[in-house]
Amino acid sequence: MKHIYLDYAAATPIDSKVLSAMQPYFSDTFFNPSATYLRARSVAKDVQSARHEIAQSLGVRPPEIIFTAGGSEANNLAVHGVMRHYLGKHMVLGATEHSSIIEPAKAYDHSLVAVHPDGRTSLEDLKKSITDDTVLVSIMLANNEIGTIAPIKKVADIIKKIREARIKSGNELPLYLHSDICQAVLCLDVHPARLGVDLMTFNGGKIYGPKQSGLLYVKTGIVLDSLIQGGGQERNLRSGTENVPSIIGFSVALRKAVKRHESSHKKLTDLQKIFINLLSQHVPQASLNGSADYRLPNNIHITIPGIDNERIMMELDERGIECAVGSACSASNDEPSHVLKALGMTDSDAQSSLRFTMGLETTKEDIETTVLALRECVSTNL
Amino acid sequence: MKKVYVGLSGGVDSSVTAALLKEQGYAVTGVYMKNWSQDLPGMPCPWKEDYLDAKRVAVQLGIPFKMYDFETDYKHKVVDYMVEEYKEGRTPNPDIMCNQEIKFKLFLDTALDDGADYVATGHYASVSHEPVPQLRIAKDDNKDQTYFLYRIRESALAKTLFPLGDYTKPEVRKLAEKFKLITASKKESMGICFVGKVGIKEFLEQYVTTEPGDVIDQHGTRVGMHEGAIFYTIGQRHGLNVGGGLPYYVIGKDMNKNQVFVTTDINDKKLWHNRLKMTKVHWINEEPTNPTVLVRTRHRAPLIQGTIEKTPEGYAIKLENEIRALTPGQSAVLYQDGIVLGGGIIF
Repeated sequence: MKHIYLDYAAATPIDSKVLSAMQPYFSDTFFNPSATYLRARSVAKDVQSARHEIAQSLGVRPPEIIFTAGGSEANNLAVHGVMRHYLGKHMVLGATEHSSIIEPAKAYDHSLVAVHPDGRTSLEDLKKSITDDTVLVSIMLANNEIGTIAPIKKVADIIKKIREARIKSGNELPLYLHSDICQAVLCLDVHPARLGVDLMTFNGGKIYGPKQSGLLYVKTGIVLDSLIQGGGQERNLRSGTENVPSIIGFSVALRKAVKRHESSHKKLTDLQKIFINLLSQHVPQASLNGSADYRLPNNIHITIPGIDNERIMMELDERGIECAVGSACSASNDEPSHVLKALGMTDSDAQSSLRFTMGLETTKEDIETTVLALRECVSTNL
Repeated sequence: MKKVYVGLSGGVDSSVTAALLKEQGYAVTGVYMKNWSQDLPGMPCPWKEDYLDAKRVAVQLGIPFKMYDFETDYKHKVVDYMVEEYKEGRTPNPDIMCNQEIKFKLFLDTALDDGADYVATGHYASVSHEPVPQLRIAKDDNKDQTYFLYRIRESALAKTLFPLGDYTKPEVRKLAEKFKLITASKKESMGICFVGKVGIKEFLEQYVTTEPGDVIDQHGTRVGMHEGAIFYTIGQRHGLNVGGGLPYYVIGKDMNKNQVFVTTDINDKKLWHNRLKMTKVHWINEEPTNPTVLVRTRHRAPLIQGTIEKTPEGYAIKLENEIRALTPGQSAVLYQDGIVLGGGIIF
């Protein structure tokens, strides 16, 4: 069966250049970079080069990069790392953040910032949420479920003004902006300085790199507590022998993604337009969730009222089309998606939602086949 | 078109059941019964995967799918019963209770309320409806599951279909492949699923506190310690914490004194029985007039000839041959000419 894979927000295949760059480090040069014989030092140098190259493509300094095992770990390091260092202080996070921000935040005094019905951060609510005790604000650049892009520069401006006010009032507590940009790297500018972000989470598994690869960008001057203690790797912030093939692969994937993000954006925007047009033609009862204007170009998240999303997903799968359910079905005991809830969606609409996320391999024909199959599945189920 | 609600467990047997009934022209609805979802120590409950497999089979067959949530009833009617029985020193059979209380009572009633004409499950058993509903041994001797079904009511049997009664397990696997069902190569689940994988000890420890006690042999000598009399099944050869020598067989328990009695003598008369007493006797149809029956005291145990006797407490069966390991709490199921008459709990 020919497959049409439309769940790129969940996982991307490893790029062939990434794979070949990783290959030597599994068996040929498998050495521990902390060792001092020459072959190991050569591996350490390769890790260092990878760090430098990433730093260069992001416009940051190499020591500001902490390699982690994936995005969830980087998010945990950002939250726990800052909040443990400023124990008793307050954190602010978006209501639609990834669970790897929401769950660690529960350990601290925190406030959730509401979103507008299109998923965009409410800047008014953000201003209200930040108190004199707030040290960390975490707002994701692009939402993994609905693809909504946050007004991150405006968020950064607000934070900048509060910082200035704190200096004037003699409040010496820092205020940092963290952003999880895992889903955005392929198509958007993620240069931390241009966005005004102090800590930033990257994930290799979403950008044609290896899973469980990633990094936390930490702007110079920010002091974090580490989560994993041991041999002192990664500036003592993330002990454990470096996963060298993963770091090398991730660096190739990241540089490639950053370099071609404009052309990827254009290609996927064109496909997205075709997808949305075909949907309005063939599945007119489908409504697009999230923002139409501020949206990741690879994301189509829809609600088709009355359908059982899990069943439609399975029926599409039987035809070789792989997509995600917008929110787990009520039968599964799982809570409906907190993202869709934050948009004000009812549970039943949430359970009638589907997510299609395209990749660089997706073609116009894939989209046409998908929409026609969806039309058929929906008509036999309603 | 007659409507059948098929209990889809996410396993191969129930999947093929649904496929066969659909092929026979019934309007089939697949139902996943959610009876248990709790994780146990070292064993995450696989119910979600089973549910997804069941739903996938419904999608593959193009039939409607529902889930019935019986978790509360299952806890009260099956799990609580099971724990109580163990506390009393007996070894209950939760599958028999599940069939009696959940599948052929609650599921049946709910399905009939939802408009079903029949229910069906993937049990290896046969049913004939005319002139009276009768439960019969399945074609596949080795898989026959009538032992677990003997407490079904006649009125329930009248509304029940067992399409797998005419097939052997290998045939069912082949059919699953023919129908291209996702469950075709799925591994067999064991007995009551949530206990099968962790073991009864770990399960009971969730509900009762146990203390070590003495193991006493046929001469009255204390030969070792056990971890709680509740865990020991009468009649069975046991891995008692007694090192070396001959194997031990459990011949009795004193729940109050938390003592387990064993023997090393395989010919010990306490191990062998030529008569069994039954309580809570259930006849599917009328009480049989001919007292000569075939008896089975465990699932897949050979059928033994016996004679029904009425006693003040209920019934007893006089056995043709002596058998070992009669376990209080387990069931004795009675047959005549391939028909399941009913049975009772051994005490």
